[in-house]
Amino acid sequence: MCPKVEAGNTKEVLLNPLVVSRNENEQVLIESSINSVRVSIKIKQADDIERILAHQFTRFLMLRAESFIILRRVPIKGYDISFLITNFHTEQMYKHKLVDFIIEFMEEVDKEISEMKLSLNARARIVAETYLSQFV
Amino acid sequence: MSKLPPVVIDNGTGYTKMGFAGNTDPQFVIPTVIGLPNKSRYGIASKRGIEDLDFHIGDEATKNSKAYGLDYPIRHGQIENWDHMERYWEQSIFKYMRCEPEDHYFLLTEPPLNAPENREQMAEIFFESFNVQGMYIAVQAVLALAASWTAKNSQQTLTGTVIDSGDGVTHVIPVAEGYVLGSSIKHIPIAGRDITGFVQQLLRDHGETSIPPEDSLEIARRIKEQYSYTSHDMANEFLKFDQDPVKYYQQFDAVNSVNQHTYKVDVGYERFLAPEVFFNPELVSSDFLTPLPDVVDTCIQVSPIDTRRGLYSNIVLSGGSTMFKGFGKRLQRDIKRIVDGRIKKSEDLSGGNLQARPIDVNVIAHKKQRYAVWFGGSIMACTDQFYQFSHSKAEYEEYGPSICRHNRVFDSLA
Amino acid sequence: MILLEPNSYVLEETLLARFNSEKHEVVDITLVDFDNVIYHVQTQAEQRNLLTLGVEMKYFNEVVQYGANEILQREYGPYLSSSASGQYQITLEFNLDSLPEDKAGLAKHVSMLKRNVLASPFVRAFEYWESQQEGAGPLMATHYREDEAIYVQAQQDRVTVIFSTLFREEVDRVLGRVFLQEFVDARRQASIQNAPQVFYSSREAPLEIRHLPGLKQDESVGYVSFVLFPRHFADADVREKTISQIQLFRDYLHYHIKCAKAYMHSRMRTRVTSFLKVINRAKPDRTTATSEKRTATGRYFRPQFRQASASPQLGGESEW
Repeated sequence: MCPKVEAGNTKEVLLNPLVVSRNENEQVLIESSINSVRVSIKIKQADDIERILAHQFTRFLMLRAESFIILRRVPIKGYDISFLITNFHTEQMYKHKLVDFIIEFMEEVDKEISEMKLSLNARARIVAETYLSQFV
Repeated sequence: MSKLPPVVIDNGTGYTKMGFAGNTDPQFVIPTVIGLPNKSRYGIASKRGIEDLDFHIGDEATKNSKAYGLDYPIRHGQIENWDHMERYWEQSIFKYMRCEPEDHYFLLTEPPLNAPENREQMAEIFFESFNVQGMYIAVQAVLALAASWTAKNSQQTLTGTVIDSGDGVTHVIPVAEGYVLGSSIKHIPIAGRDITGFVQQLLRDHGETSIPPEDSLEIARRIKEQYSYTSHDMANEFLKFDQDPVKYYQQFDAVNSVNQHTYKVDVGYERFLAPEVFFNPELVSSDFLTPLPDVVDTCIQVSPIDTRRGLYSNIVLSGGSTMFKGFGKRLQRDIKRIVDGRIKKSEDLSGGNLQARPIDVNVIAHKKQRYAVWFGGSIMACTDQFYQFSHSKAEYEEYGPSICRHNRVFDSLA
Repeated sequence: MILLEPNSYVLEETLLARFNSEKHEVVDITLVDFDNVIYHVQTQAEQRNLLTLGVEMKYFNEVVQYGANEILQREYGPYLSSSASGQYQITLEFNLDSLPEDKAGLAKHVSMLKRNVLASPFVRAFEYWESQQEGAGPLMATHYREDEAIYVQAQQDRVTVIFSTLFREEVDRVLGRVFLQEFVDARRQASIQNAPQVFYSSREAPLEIRHLPGLKQDESVGYVSFVLFPRHFADADVREKTISQIQLFRDYLHYHIKCAKAYMHSRMRTRVTSFLKVINRAKPDRTTATSEKRTATGRYFRPQFRQASASPQLGGESEW
């Protein structure tokens, strides 16, 4: 049976979607149905750099969707990354651990992006200083 | 204004060969090794700067191995550490080749049976980090076949058996119309390193005490490369050497690397015994005893029946350890003998009713054998087809790394 | 490796190998340098002792106006061949039988050829400054890459160098901006206050070159200006160093953008591994359950497929 939340053609099997939102730029959309749940995340992107980093990072992950099992290869429109958990996943894997994973993911993504940004800036500074100090 | 030549990089387990397409030899042949600072056991979070630029590759890494820990990013032909490999390429391109990757096409190589995921990773690195214009990933064995097209007796096909023997391992790889017959590949655990060790042992055995122990491996290697040849028959050759030692024994002038004294080394039986290792593996190995011609024959016999004639008629040598004088001839004769024997047997069994069409056995040796894979790549990258068959940056942007899972096979020299 | 070398390593090595080889082989080697420079190292079959180095350089006609020929004459005079043939703008000839003692030095010197040629507008500008003339000197443009150029102009008290930069990729553009911002801000550091002043503007061309026709004005272009003060070029040694550094600016910038991306890749790989660990915790551990199974004879029972996947594909058959 296909995941009903993906097919979306039978209204009766869909539950009301849920949006958890911190602000306009940080949201989670949870769409559920009788046999599957779709979780989509909008990652905080304050500026161009964070936008690029978030895009690069989610793309990198989605290219490896195979090993992440519940990761969707393409995000839902308007979101940066989506997970699809079907009844098969919940039958074969521990549900609470899947929840752990998504929570951990959300926490880490923000941290990683801001760390990458920091290290990028630090890097750029050293590069610029090294170059310019050649002239002194 | 002519177009900038593509860059050809062949990353092997032991050595990396790189250069610009169109040249007959690679510009650099350096060990595939990266030297990282010993303190680099830092976690990812502590990285606040550009520690990751502090590394050396190739000979410089081995030179600085006191302060830098060595890592070999390629194991058994497969890339194991992508982080290190990416940085290895970074320096290969900017320091060694000195080119702006954005301006070039790249031809890279992969071992047979490489996982498509590895190709995707390569594509990701080259398109996203280096912004290359386009790239093509070729199978090493197929390039070795292409390299043999320059030989006089070549048939210029992409069907054939490649015997690839480098420093660490020897492979026998059957290729049919540009596709590797993965299930028939055979490996021989004997290669250049073992032969050098064997020569070293022989020198020690016949009492060359003047060789200082620290130079002994290097001397053995040079003797192997300069004096070896393949004999027709081992027993006969021993007889010849014993009857007329003056004619066959040679002297090698060596220089002590420490005190610069010169000394002489007598080179005797090792001249023909070194390559003999392939034909009589019991010389060096106690567990692997199948001679190379038998391995080649089995390899072809387990390949699909309609490809076998083609595989026999185009046996191509590649790699430094196939460079021995007369190696191809001897191999050809031995394989021919096995094949003819089998045909004769089946003819006899049929009681003379059946007459088999004789099978052509050709072993092709050529001048560019040593870096055959790179040279094949250099030829390929010069053809017009190369640009057609390469995956361009635009295609990558549109479809993602999965386009590099498949690389179309070249079928002719344009 | 943080800084790029001013000379071409591959050219140096190739030439040195030719200079040192005892046999004069016939060679035909093509090499490349940054910014579309192509070198051809050749010997002819009839004259094996004569090694020629042909250089294709798109912008050579431009730098000739700024005195590139004089520099070539000064640096490579004895080797310079007058027969500038068709596709090569510069041709050097070496007689392999009569090379100077210091072959390594010669190879190194020749490998600086591109640097020396591209130095000409800078040298010209510095000379203009020395001549103490009133007003600004001529604006010297070198279109060293397709769509990218270096502009050099001498003023009475300084020399301005403007790079027009182009980023084809959006990622590069964003990363490039981060780097360039740091170049602009770097001078706040006390230790490098004497470095040249750097300005960066995207889209808008700086005043010095705004009058030029055909300047691109969109998101992808940016202009980086360096203001060199007399202390960067008054002294002869410092001047040479300044030239070597400044002309590699673009390559340096792009090299580091690529390194930053490579670094981010390795960060992301580490992240993927740690995320995979977390998701794998959700999989029930089946390995312990099956490996304990034994057959009737007391031997361990292992399904066939597991064994096949446990041994690597290469060389797998020899083990069992």
